Amino acid sequence: MKTTVPIIVAFLAGVALVLAFFFDQRTLIGSLSQELRVWLSIVGGFTLLLGVVSITRVNYAAVKQRKEGWFFKLITLVSIFVMAVPALLPSSWSSLFGRQEGSIYDWLFLYMDAPMMATMFATLAFYIASAAYRAFRARSPESTLLLVTATVIMLWRVPMGEWFLDQLPGDIPFFLNTYIMNGINMAVQRGIIIGAALGAASMSLRIILGIERTYMGKG
Amino acid sequence: MNFWQRMQQMDRRWVYLMVGISVIFPFILPITLPVSITPEAQMLYDHIEALPDSSTVMLVFDYYPSTIAECEPMTIAAARHFFEKDCRVITLSNIPLGGPTMAEQVTRTVAEQYGKEYGVDYVNLGYKANYVAVLSGMGQSIESIFPTDNSGTPLDELPLMDSVVNYEQIDFIFEVADNATADYWVSIVNAGYGVPIGCGTTAVSAPKYYAFVDAGQFVGLLGGMKGAAEYEQLIEQEGDAMVGMGAQSLVHLLIIALVIVGNLGFFVGGIGRRKGAK
Repeated sequence: MKTTVPIIVAFLAGVALVLAFFFDQRTLIGSLSQELRVWLSIVGGFTLLLGVVSITRVNYAAVKQRKEGWFFKLITLVSIFVMAVPALLPSSWSSLFGRQEGSIYDWLFLYMDAPMMATMFATLAFYIASAAYRAFRARSPESTLLLVTATVIMLWRVPMGEWFLDQLPGDIPFFLNTYIMNGINMAVQRGIIIGAALGAASMSLRIILGIERTYMGKG
Repeated sequence: MNFWQRMQQMDRRWVYLMVGISVIFPFILPITLPVSITPEAQMLYDHIEALPDSSTVMLVFDYYPSTIAECEPMTIAAARHFFEKDCRVITLSNIPLGGPTMAEQVTRTVAEQYGKEYGVDYVNLGYKANYVAVLSGMGQSIESIFPTDNSGTPLDELPLMDSVVNYEQIDFIFEVADNATADYWVSIVNAGYGVPIGCGTTAVSAPKYYAFVDAGQFVGLLGGMKGAAEYEQLIEQEGDAMVGMGAQSLVHLLIIALVIVGNLGFFVGGIGRRKGAK
């Protein structure tokens, strides 16, 4: 029962959504597929809730047992609820509730969440610079080719580098855009995109036909 | 130990210090440099410029706060261009973490500068989970996916949404993303409903999307902060991206210099070591 019902649901929903591509939206199958999409969005909302429940359970257990790093887990728990609870309360109760301008959520997002996330991402620049200095070596013809290409593309993508390239003979920026980005790069990216799309299509087909069952925790 | 060998063993904190100085310096003494316009940015600008006045457009905030430095200048520049052309702007996000808030903040700020009114000239639909369902569902009815806007107002109370049912009433979509949602805008909305889409993305994601521009599935592309700076230059309104280009220029040059020094050390220092061994 635990396996059969999900397989039947996946098969019916999958087939309905595939068939809907070939039918007018005003037909029964068209409106059914639209209804399924609304359901899909609602189910997606519940997965977010599941994430909150899961992160709360895991961190609460770690705090309760005073495991290593429990203090950081406590901060995680406090952060989740301090951010989420005022956002979920109706703004008609207080202008601090809800998600509108001037609310607690808005303030925390603008002045804590966004700067912290941007800072975490920005630290990559330090690691990239350090890693490039230590590891980016012309050890082989392939790595030399990659190194030279990456260097000129990096130069081209900033105004100071562009100015430098413009001083050299020949239209190097034009060459880079036409032959590297719109030539070699594009050909490789197309191969990757087509490969990934074929993989996604075959995986979808396997799920619809009940061959792939790992999403139910089964091999 | 010779100079090159010492350089090979340089403490990484010196590298961090150099990067820090390169980032901070241009913000203390701004270096504003003209940026050359790539054909992809020009195509995007030309397409938006050619839209009839009062067109209805979608501005999509599919990026996380972590990439705000690259993506937000694009959304600000696009919002300015749209409002300058009196376009009616519908914003939405497929990112739960801050997407609707960033959309709210950007559009409200820019709209105030152009004297635009919420509900009449622009609407923020907010976020709904599961972007595949959201994108395909809006093809039939936007209201069935977003019954209310971001602040909970029913769509039928917003005058802008009176004449907007689905993608048929949308003239253009500008998708700003730092993740794979841009792929779904192409495969579901452009391929399925024929709506022209422009894309703005992070520098690291941009190489992937040249294929979509070449195929005509994106009308243009902005790649990273440089792309945003190009667009700011095209609309003749200098913003954060133009300012940020100074820092990015110095850091890029620093990384290139470090790579060259690292390789010189690798070869020269390596030869020195071999000679020493003999």
